[in-house]
Amino acid sequence: MTATATGLTAFRAHVRDWCRTHIPVGWREAQTGVGEEEFVAFQKAWFQELRRAGFAVPHWPAEWGGGMPVAEQIVLYQELAAHDAPRLVLAFVAIHHAAATLLAAGTDEQRRRHLPAILDGEIWVQGFSEPGAGSDLAALRTTARRERGAYVVNGQKLWASGAAHADWCLLLARTDPKAPKRRGISYFLLDMRTPGIDVRPIRQATGESHFCEVFLNDVEVPAANLVGPANEGWRVAQETLGAERGMTMLELAERLGNAGFRRLVELCSRPGPGGARPIGDSPVADRLAALETEVTGLRALCRDLVERHEAGTVGRADASIVKLYYSELLQRMTDFGTEVAGLAAHTELRKPLSSSWESGAWALDFIGSWEWTIPGGTSEIQRTIIAERGLGLPREPKGA
Amino acid sequence: MNIELSEEAAEYGRQALEAFKAAGGDGLVQQAEAEPGHRAEQVAPVLAELGAWDLDARGDADELEAAAALCRSAGYWAVPYPVAERLARPADLGTDGLVVVAGTAPAGAVAGLDLRWTAVTPDGRRATAAALPPAAPPRESAFVTGLALTPLDEAGAADAALGLVLPCWTLLGMLDRAIDLAREHVLVREQFGRPLAQFQGVQFQLTDAEVERSGLEMMARYALWSGQANLPEALDDALALRLAALEAAETVFRVAHQLHGAIGFCDESPLSWISRYSQPVRRLPLGLSATRDLLARRLGRHALTGRYGDVAERVTS
Ligand SMILES: Cc1cc2nc3c(=O)[nH]c(=O)nc-3n(C[C@H](O)[C@H](O)[C@H](O)COP(=O)(O)OP(=O)(O)OC[C@H]3O[C@@H](n4cnc5c(N)ncnc54)[C@H](O)[C@@H]3O)c2cc1C
Repeated sequence: MTATATGLTAFRAHVRDWCRTHIPVGWREAQTGVGEEEFVAFQKAWFQELRRAGFAVPHWPAEWGGGMPVAEQIVLYQELAAHDAPRLVLAFVAIHHAAATLLAAGTDEQRRRHLPAILDGEIWVQGFSEPGAGSDLAALRTTARRERGAYVVNGQKLWASGAAHADWCLLLARTDPKAPKRRGISYFLLDMRTPGIDVRPIRQATGESHFCEVFLNDVEVPAANLVGPANEGWRVAQETLGAERGMTMLELAERLGNAGFRRLVELCSRPGPGGARPIGDSPVADRLAALETEVTGLRALCRDLVERHEAGTVGRADASIVKLYYSELLQRMTDFGTEVAGLAAHTELRKPLSSSWESGAWALDFIGSWEWTIPGGTSEIQRTIIAERGLGLPREPKGA
Repeated sequence: MNIELSEEAAEYGRQALEAFKAAGGDGLVQQAEAEPGHRAEQVAPVLAELGAWDLDARGDADELEAAAALCRSAGYWAVPYPVAERLARPADLGTDGLVVVAGTAPAGAVAGLDLRWTAVTPDGRRATAAALPPAAPPRESAFVTGLALTPLDEAGAADAALGLVLPCWTLLGMLDRAIDLAREHVLVREQFGRPLAQFQGVQFQLTDAEVERSGLEMMARYALWSGQANLPEALDDALALRLAALEAAETVFRVAHQLHGAIGFCDESPLSWISRYSQPVRRLPLGLSATRDLLARRLGRHALTGRYGDVAERVTS
């Protein structure tokens, strides 16, 4: 870490100033109940606002527009959370997964083509999962057949979050059907405007349809869009998937601990129909105190993860511990919010878009929180990783 | 005391399950959501055919048990109709159904039905209730709508107990279904070259859910019996049942969703529907902490008598 303590204090003051003058006043109300178009426009405008301040991609290398020391990034995310800034929802895959992949395994050409474009607002989606390949991602069956200077892709992707708005897709497809499961997979950059792509939204329990099915029918991908060597896609994906876990989790933990927890306390402090405030009730106060302890623990864990990442001392199960802890804590916290908010929460049917997972529309937040224990490796898969890689326990017997 | 359901009641429940299945099964709630105006037409004839309106839940034990079994079967298919509320209708007011309400914004999952309602608070205050036009489509509201109340009397203590107990049977049916769905899913869905059900981590979650569900079933039978026996603590037992039902529902739905993976959040999966339409029963009239709070206040100095308590023994001996 290069930033000095005084430097950090000055940086914090700078971010605070910036937050006060740049976070759109009343954005929560304005983003409640809006349509997709307005949401997308707002997200893109906010991204550009952050970019002008140098806050959009602080984790990227300096030559591509980042280069912020890790200690300052931590401060940045703390302050954005404390000031309840909108979240970058739409750009998430682009600035994290796509960028990490390009930086780690992309060609210069690919980086030059895409990193500046991402800064200009290019939206990315992750096309990994398939009907038969969820937790067992390596079972994927979408094929990419080499034909002259291109690959011809056929198959179906599922649960692609935000695919409806995406310009580009991170695609895993099988290039060698005869090789063992993990060996025959390649990693591609897919232009979503290519003919043969059909994106269909999937309707969800929360009423939104933010994830999509993507059908790929003889879709031609130029060979230049292969990332890393052919048939090495599994390795590329493994290396880049976890790479960003640290800072993105830190951001979420800060959000949960700042504006999220504040909203929970406000909720508990609001007089109920009978005039009494829930917080006056000792069980409620106890629960709040317990949650506060847990959130503090989570924030410390995330910070530790980020710093160990920087120092190159991350344990093989550390990221899994953080994801498991965050997702289950989020469920407990939104569940408690729903309980305290009582009936009124169930008449609140719209939540502010662009907000975090704890938006204050508690009933919807709670239902939404259930999603968190599934993607990016389910809780069971995280537990398996912690058991096997962290604790060194044996693998589950094959064919038991 | 015998808290087993009679064989007749169990058989009646099985017939009801089949009848709802034949009438559309999972399709019932899906159609009702698409065409809320027609929801009564779909379901009411099936209920009439089953003789539901001849059941007197306040009559003898057999009829009450049959009513409970019917609610459970309706829950299994998330039947989009207030079956429990109708079966709990007051004996003396000539209305079509009973809704337990609490708080300043009384509501029930009774939108868009041409029926006359009675509302009762947990402490027995009764009112005539008119369902207001729903503020949101069923997709968002799950047929919950506000009620306009006209106060009536304070003679509804027994109404409140029955009005709390029967919807818990509906919820029990929903949990039966959620577990069946999760079980079927993990037996069929393969990852890593084998059915999910072969992973012990999956099995244990399902067993935890099943333990919750069967505990709830015992409580549900006990509260039914307690109300039938007119025990002074019938209302406490009803609240205790509600508390157990809400806690069990949380575990069961959490596990069922987790084991389904992403598909459980999508409309093509029946779990998504059951889970969504379980919300009104779980939130109305009181959610988990409010139920716990009310029960704790009511119990105050005395504790629950329970199945093995002195009073219960005296009553049955
Ligand atoms: C909100 C959301 C957003 C998503 N976004 C994307 C996206 O943008 N792009 C994309 O490619 N995918 C996305 N996904 C898909 C996600 O990656 C998969 O849902 C996830 O990998 C789990 O796969 P599955 O849903 O098929 O569940 P399954 O793998 O079928 O798992 C079902 C259940 O079985 C358990 N299980 C599986 N294997 C084992 C085992 N070995 N031991 C014990 N338990 C096990 C699981 O933990 C789970 O509880 C998203 C999913 C969600 C919910």
